Amino acid sequence: MKPFDLLQPGSLGEALSLLDVADARPFAGGTALMLMMKAGVLRPQRLVSLRNLRLDAIEANGSLRVGAMTTLRALERSEAVRNGWPVIARALRTLSNVRVRNVATVGGALAHADPHMDLPPLLSALGAQVVVAGKGGERRLPVEDLYAGYLENTLRNELITHVEIPALGKRGAAYLKCTTRSADDWPAVGVAVVLGSEERIFVSAATDRPVRIKDEAAIEALKIEGDLHGSADYKKHLLKVYLRRAIDEARNAVH
Amino acid sequence: MRREIQFQLNGRDVSAQVAPHESLVEVLQENFGLYGARESCGQGMCGCCTLMVNGTAVSGCLYLATLAEGARVDTIEGGAELDAVQQAFVESGAFQCGFCTPGFILMTRQLLDEQPDPDDHAIKHYLSGNLCRCAAYPEIIEAVKLAARKRRKQ
Amino acid sequence: MKRATQSTETPQVGRSVPRLESWLKVTGRAEYVHNLRLPGMLYGKIFRSTVAHGRIRRIDVSAAQALPGVFKVVTSKEVREIVPDPYFGPAFHDQPILAIDKVRYVGEPVAVVLASDPHVAEEAVHLISAEYEELPAVYDEVEAMTSKAIVHDVLRPAGTFPDLKHLKDRKNTNLALDFRLRRGDAANAMKKADRVFEHRFSTQQVMHTPLEPLVSVAESTESSLTIHTASQSPSFVRIEIARLLGWPENKVRVRVPFLGGGFGAKLYIKLEALVSVLSLLAKRPVKISLTMEEQFFTITKHASTFRIKSGVSKDGRIVARECEVWWNGGAYADIGPRVTQKSGFTAPGPYDIEHVAVDSYALYTNLPPAGALRGFGIPQLVWAYEGHTDLMARELGLDPIEFRRRNLLREGRPQATGTVMKDAALEKVLERISVLMEWGKPFERGAGTVKKGRGIAIGFKACVSPTTSLAAVNVNADGSCIVYCSTADMGQGSDTAMAQIAGEVLHMAAESITVVHSDTDVTPYDMATLGSRSLFHMGNAVKLAAEDALNKLNVLRKELGLAADCPIPDIFKKKYGMQAGNVAGTGSYIPSYKSPDANGLTDNATPFWMVGASGVEIEVDTETGRVRLTRLVNVADVGTPINPKIVETQLSGAAIMQLGFTLHEKMVFDAQGQLRNASFAEYKIPGMLDLPASMVNEAVVAEQKSGPFGGKGVGETGTFGVSPAIANAIHDAVGVRLTSLPLNPESIWEKLK
Repeated sequence: MKPFDLLQPGSLGEALSLLDVADARPFAGGTALMLMMKAGVLRPQRLVSLRNLRLDAIEANGSLRVGAMTTLRALERSEAVRNGWPVIARALRTLSNVRVRNVATVGGALAHADPHMDLPPLLSALGAQVVVAGKGGERRLPVEDLYAGYLENTLRNELITHVEIPALGKRGAAYLKCTTRSADDWPAVGVAVVLGSEERIFVSAATDRPVRIKDEAAIEALKIEGDLHGSADYKKHLLKVYLRRAIDEARNAVH
Repeated sequence: MRREIQFQLNGRDVSAQVAPHESLVEVLQENFGLYGARESCGQGMCGCCTLMVNGTAVSGCLYLATLAEGARVDTIEGGAELDAVQQAFVESGAFQCGFCTPGFILMTRQLLDEQPDPDDHAIKHYLSGNLCRCAAYPEIIEAVKLAARKRRKQ
Repeated sequence: MKRATQSTETPQVGRSVPRLESWLKVTGRAEYVHNLRLPGMLYGKIFRSTVAHGRIRRIDVSAAQALPGVFKVVTSKEVREIVPDPYFGPAFHDQPILAIDKVRYVGEPVAVVLASDPHVAEEAVHLISAEYEELPAVYDEVEAMTSKAIVHDVLRPAGTFPDLKHLKDRKNTNLALDFRLRRGDAANAMKKADRVFEHRFSTQQVMHTPLEPLVSVAESTESSLTIHTASQSPSFVRIEIARLLGWPENKVRVRVPFLGGGFGAKLYIKLEALVSVLSLLAKRPVKISLTMEEQFFTITKHASTFRIKSGVSKDGRIVARECEVWWNGGAYADIGPRVTQKSGFTAPGPYDIEHVAVDSYALYTNLPPAGALRGFGIPQLVWAYEGHTDLMARELGLDPIEFRRRNLLREGRPQATGTVMKDAALEKVLERISVLMEWGKPFERGAGTVKKGRGIAIGFKACVSPTTSLAAVNVNADGSCIVYCSTADMGQGSDTAMAQIAGEVLHMAAESITVVHSDTDVTPYDMATLGSRSLFHMGNAVKLAAEDALNKLNVLRKELGLAADCPIPDIFKKKYGMQAGNVAGTGSYIPSYKSPDANGLTDNATPFWMVGASGVEIEVDTETGRVRLTRLVNVADVGTPINPKIVETQLSGAAIMQLGFTLHEKMVFDAQGQLRNASFAEYKIPGMLDLPASMVNEAVVAEQKSGPFGGKGVGETGTFGVSPAIANAIHDAVGVRLTSLPLNPESIWEKLK
């Protein structure tokens, strides 16, 4: 790995200005970042750790407000999440492994923009928004608007500070993913469904970013690329099967 | 640029000169001669590099040593005698080449701390992030259940 | 710490002794070369070829050399200062220590950066640039037979194997070996057969991925070398390094502690020649420790294509069989030619067939080299012949087990080579798998979208021969015992097994015995730890050595006028006047063997056979093609188990590993020969969640009369039947026949839709 500076600012403002140089990267849990740096794919001069920004609170007050530096494990084990958003706790159980979840953060998971990941489609389907801080102030945007393409997010020198998830209430919800090799693998397809007055369906892993679809017919129109997990044709087929299964599971979800 | 950090290692206060890019596994090997945590896959997927930081299991090969400053680090080498988990692994023959074994033991301790009586399903899920190429998995599952029984007796 | 009592009447073999090194492994203190650091040591990082086939026009190391902290950058130019003819390999001297003139696969080592900080070395590797004149490349084994893309300008057999001599100086070919077996007249018999069946099967390239990646360290003086290496073949390393340097064997010392897994990857020469040369150049210890990714560019398992044709009589007897096997050896031969021959002669399977023709070809291609991987070619062969067997059974309307029963080789009958079957419990294993699978009972396949199926397969292997093992056993003045052998314990429990064997002879508890690890200055010659040969060969050598020591003690007792049951410490006190001295026993074992003739025939092909069968029950989700294993049963003939617990875990471990090769693993290359998935993120080995819902592993009651206390090898046996059993079960469940590995959901879905 190319040597770099590791800085640990104590405030959001400090972090933002430290990031305002070329070749600087924010460092949340660091799992995805370290992988890419070890592979030589990313070679930043400066890493700015966000661990001292005190962004790790989980507040449940009807809706859920999660600090971006909350670890996935903390989210998984939170009573409030298990009671109010059981679909999230369930999805996290099969997200990577315990060691990764101990360290990886919600903000990092959302910002990384890997289309195979579980949280982006699920939180999008739940109607979640992120709170984003930049030099110009704060803004909110739906999770699905974070993505521009493969590993490309729409943040401009900004940091996610919180994720806000509306109450699930009595709505049925499910997230299913299909792995085609070993059980612990990136999925070939992912489908997140939240039912209610408005049906919100997001598919992932088969496209370069999570995509909202209306129904099974919309799958035909998707731009799907094959990869090591399956050809485009197969993924298209899997999406149809898993959409049906996710809707069934969402309908039967009891909470 | 090396900087001195201080932290607790297996219950002792220690210090080390670390560069920002050095992983916790590297520093523990280079500076403290502790080789129980090993980098194997380099991607946090195999668990051979498992270390405990502030009582939480992490992938040491992806954990920058600098971030262990002020933390409590525990490795497989800590502990004077074999605990219930280690004894159970021995009795169940839950290893072959042994390279992944420290990682499995540390994860098992954490599993049993959280779930004192896990069933096969819970065990497989919890340990799904630890790989064993020798495939001693069935024996490991038995060892976890035996360790749970031993802990209950203690 | 409790010490086990030394003298005991309890039998030591047949006991599930906990592994001797248990404490070390559960406390993280076991010694692996992965952990070795020496004062003044330099780390080497390898610069690798980015083209699959090309002539090297230029290598520019200047920027790398200039990076602060870089000690030296080495290419083949510097290598040749130390070793003028730097080509190595067990069968062919075809592999250069660093690429010379040409590169033959993407990932081939071209240069090495040495630095005391491995991060600096790695950074410097990025600063090296090379230019290649690209040449046409060939990747497929069948295509390689006739391709104009020729990987090696001239063949260079090593001279170690007599059956390769005729290939010397051959040009314009990718065929490294053509093994041929002819028994009777298969072509004619085929014409006369009532039914003829022909099928084609293929398998993929995979990698062992031991969790301790390949690693070697060398330290040198001006006339001697010590190599610390994770190797299954220390004696071979010594001989080959000595040969390369033109030194006597006693000036090269090879040390092997525990291996963090081997599976055949850590054999012959991998990094040892490179670190030796680097250490001699740098005059400092040098360590090269591969990353998981780099392992894929070092050694792999042969992909294969197998065309199998059988003539069958009306009453379901196979009267003739033709086997044509193409082995994809990659860019360097490694032990491929041995796989081609030694496995090749069992290509017809464990069946009693009068007329047999086998053609087994080792091909060079522009892929990472293939060598020995647990099974040594057998799993690829069983994959084909057991799929073929089931297909024929179906066509003939015969039950798959009944069809096998009619054709299985029995004790006393000649195998394809003409060697008569002895102590190979094929029948017992087949019957036992039938019982455990409840084959006679009706099986519900289900009516919904999830269909159930079951399948079985049986395979066998001939232990490689002839090979030699020597051992020494020391009895100390206090009666304690030390065993010296160059067998490498890579997790298969060899230390424990050898202690049990010595303990059985000397009436000592296995736990009380010390086993000294491979150190060629100390432990005697051993061919290598491979092919499940060690329990038999080294076990016999250890047994002989222990008997020799016991005999010497008895002779001493007589000479000193002591009683026949006089305790050992008293013998030494009487002889030396105090607690002093020791008695050393030695043992040497090489089984009898007869080289095959020009038709591949011999009446003594192997000292023992391994037999393994698997049965599976599966569920297929017909909507997605995904397969779930509900039951996996493995039955084997391992002779008399020396350590029943370890035997069980070897069967289980091998079978689960083979599951990976069957369902998930495949090295995927693009059109330019670049590997796309050289990491655990994209190359998926079995994890906890991939276990079958239920597993049974059993050794049938059997005895290998020529083995130590009736025992023989078991390390590979669990791999034999797994792949075809699953394919047979898929066929049973949904009528889909897959003939190439891995069996992925998409290929099942493709055929179902």
